[in-house]
Amino acid sequence: MNREQVIKENTEQRKIQIENLLCAKGLEGISPKDAVKMAFPKAFEDLSPSAKRGYLNTEQFFNAYNFNIQGEFEYHHLAWRSLFVPTEIMYAMDLLPFTSEMVASQLAMSGMARERIETAEAHNFSGDICSFMKAVAGGVIENIFPTPDILITSTHLCDPSAKYAELASHHYNRPEFVLDIPYGLYDMSIRGSEKDLKRVEEGVEYVCRQLHEMIDFITEHTGLRLENEKLRQVIRWTNKARAWLEEGNDVTLHERTAAKKGVRELDYAANLMQTWGTERIVDVYKSRCIDYKASVEPKSKGTQPRIVWFHLRPYFKTPLMNYLDEKIDLCGSQINFAYWEPLDLADPIRAISRRTVLHPAFSSITARTAIAIDEIPDDTDGIIAYYPKSCRHFHGGSIMENETFKKAGIPILTIDGDCVDDRGEDFPIVKTRVDRFMKSILKNPRSAKK
Amino acid sequence: MKKIGWFCAYTPVELIHAAGFLPVGVKSDSGAEHEDVVLGDSICSYVRSCMGGALTGAYDSLSGVVIAHSCECMRRLADGWGYRQEEIKPRMLHLIDVPKVVTDSSIAFFAGGIKHMKETLEEQVGPITEDALKNAIETYATTRMHFAKIDTLRKKEAPAVTGKEVAALIEKSFEIPRESFNSLLENFIQDKEGETGDESAPRIMLIGGPGNSSLIPTIETVGGLCVVEHMCTGLRLFAGERVPHEDPCHELAALYLKKAPCPRMLHDKAREAIEEIQAMVKDYRVDGVVYYSMKFCANMQMQYALLKNDIPLDVPVKVLEGDISSEVNAREVQSFIKRLKKRRKKNR
Ligand code: SF4
Ligand code: SF4
Repeated sequence: MNREQVIKENTEQRKIQIENLLCAKGLEGISPKDAVKMAFPKAFEDLSPSAKRGYLNTEQFFNAYNFNIQGEFEYHHLAWRSLFVPTEIMYAMDLLPFTSEMVASQLAMSGMARERIETAEAHNFSGDICSFMKAVAGGVIENIFPTPDILITSTHLCDPSAKYAELASHHYNRPEFVLDIPYGLYDMSIRGSEKDLKRVEEGVEYVCRQLHEMIDFITEHTGLRLENEKLRQVIRWTNKARAWLEEGNDVTLHERTAAKKGVRELDYAANLMQTWGTERIVDVYKSRCIDYKASVEPKSKGTQPRIVWFHLRPYFKTPLMNYLDEKIDLCGSQINFAYWEPLDLADPIRAISRRTVLHPAFSSITARTAIAIDEIPDDTDGIIAYYPKSCRHFHGGSIMENETFKKAGIPILTIDGDCVDDRGEDFPIVKTRVDRFMKSILKNPRSAKK
Repeated sequence: MKKIGWFCAYTPVELIHAAGFLPVGVKSDSGAEHEDVVLGDSICSYVRSCMGGALTGAYDSLSGVVIAHSCECMRRLADGWGYRQEEIKPRMLHLIDVPKVVTDSSIAFFAGGIKHMKETLEEQVGPITEDALKNAIETYATTRMHFAKIDTLRKKEAPAVTGKEVAALIEKSFEIPRESFNSLLENFIQDKEGETGDESAPRIMLIGGPGNSSLIPTIETVGGLCVVEHMCTGLRLFAGERVPHEDPCHELAALYLKKAPCPRMLHDKAREAIEEIQAMVKDYRVDGVVYYSMKFCANMQMQYALLKNDIPLDVPVKVLEGDISSEVNAREVQSFIKRLKKRRKKNR
């Protein structure tokens, strides 16, 4: 199929897919144009920082179905993406990412995940596969997602999403590019022996070469080209956004601020977002930081324990997050951690490669826990880790993680839950565990152990 | 002879052999009876068994282990092993990452990883010469050649080779020096050449990972005949053809990445895996496929969904979900074999 035919076919399919989506959402009868307009009641500039983040995601979501925010037709070259594929090159090439894991969380937030998961399970997807991927698989089977122009996935952090993209590529009959990210380089960079550091550089070079191949792949299949100046501009935005993110994180980690709310703070999920490289994400993190600074309260004012959050939250409706909002001061999270150095404008592709291969979450439990022990301030009271039971990457290390933090004197509560699938949700039991954890923190505060 | 253990069919064992160690394959259920207390229950049973075995002394005769980073569960095995190293006798632990795509640059990168592993082994035994490595590659190529012959015998109508016999051979390959194993294979082939077996038995292809040791016996007890095992403890261990290269590490990298793929592989290689399975169904004149899907192995489970939803095979497929030591439901297998028997009779 040539490029024109792909665009024609995608255009036709996306028209059907948005109708299917609205139908699945219970909005049949509402025209897609009206649905789009309803989603943007206020201008971007008038929104709170957290709402700006939501606006940006929603805008991109509708763009993927070829709608701009006025509900007019606008074709977008779309790349199905797995969570950790770097986005800067895509934006520099005018390619819109469609991140499968993010879509799964959006389905869960709007109460649409369970049915999709059941569809997947009825179509030979095993019960113990990660629910993010089962929700996506169900959505693909029900044809509610936009057909991509291409698929770009990476092998970090976990197996299910890269493997699922292979199925999606087959289903949509669209070409896939896989970024093969070597595992363990972060650990080697820490060990720092000559042979390890040499291996790290080989890894950076290996991924750098793949990123160049990825650019050629995008051009070959979409006709989009990379302009170096545009890439530099995108990198400047990323660096600025990163700086604001870090400054805001510093405030949350060391101060009590009234503006911060647990759930909203987690929804920034900054280092997972597909918005790195857009101009608007600079605004989002800048206003977040300014907001937090403006609402700093004296430390003596708050009494809630200061808790760092690990991994994601449940995205379906549950009283848990509101309950936690009352009980804890969520002062930091793994997913908002700016783990990388600013990107080098003089050699942006290599800088992206380095950031990608040295992702600290793609490392051993020992390395991961060491970073946290290092970063978590002394006046933080503990950690809550929320891990889906089907997640080998995070849940599979939780016993070691628990023991390590306890040895380091940091109380931790691991909640075995699910982020997307609400079928096993049991709030009363989780609440009891949270209450017990809070009680023990108050009884044996970390500060007293010092 | 000192021994180094390995777990995954992507481990370049030739290098361990060249270093003067006996490479010992850690069997799929060698630690199964031991409870693992380090990894969570979201990890596959093979990896949990290995972890349990390590903590209870099942591998005390080893000097060390090489863990190939083939999947997310294996990565956690390396973590657990390192984390509890003080209680585990084998001291050396090396993690080698294995690319998931096959391109010129992934082969070159993997060759670098093999050199990195070579340096770790050299810290134990001193320099490993190029000649030693080339000889090891040669010795292992002989095994591959013998297995290719066994495969030819198994492709015949009414083969005399049973799945149980091949499984026993593979088990032996995990524990004895390669040279002796090659002689054993030679004798086995001599014994079987010209022999015939049961013509009426439905021919079964097994697909899976580390499998389950009662799987093949169950299939064959109820009247089936396993003719090919696309498994970590089967074909994937001995498939692949040598393409000599001046750099032996590069040669090994190409050999391992290009061989019959495990579902962990992605992109072209994953497509190739499906095409290969389709071709094998014809080549081995398979009557039915038993897909043994390991619980908590996303790669295998996804490949199964692809085969079932989008690329159906021409023959009936039975999926069994289980772990490395769970009981195989004999009745379920029996009714599948019965169905295939009828089908086979009709087709003939
Ligand atoms: S929950 Fe775990 S397995 Fe699922 S997408 Fe996230 S990291 Fe991967
Ligand atoms: S069965 Fe699957 S998850 Fe377990 S070690 Fe093998 S490939 Fe990894």
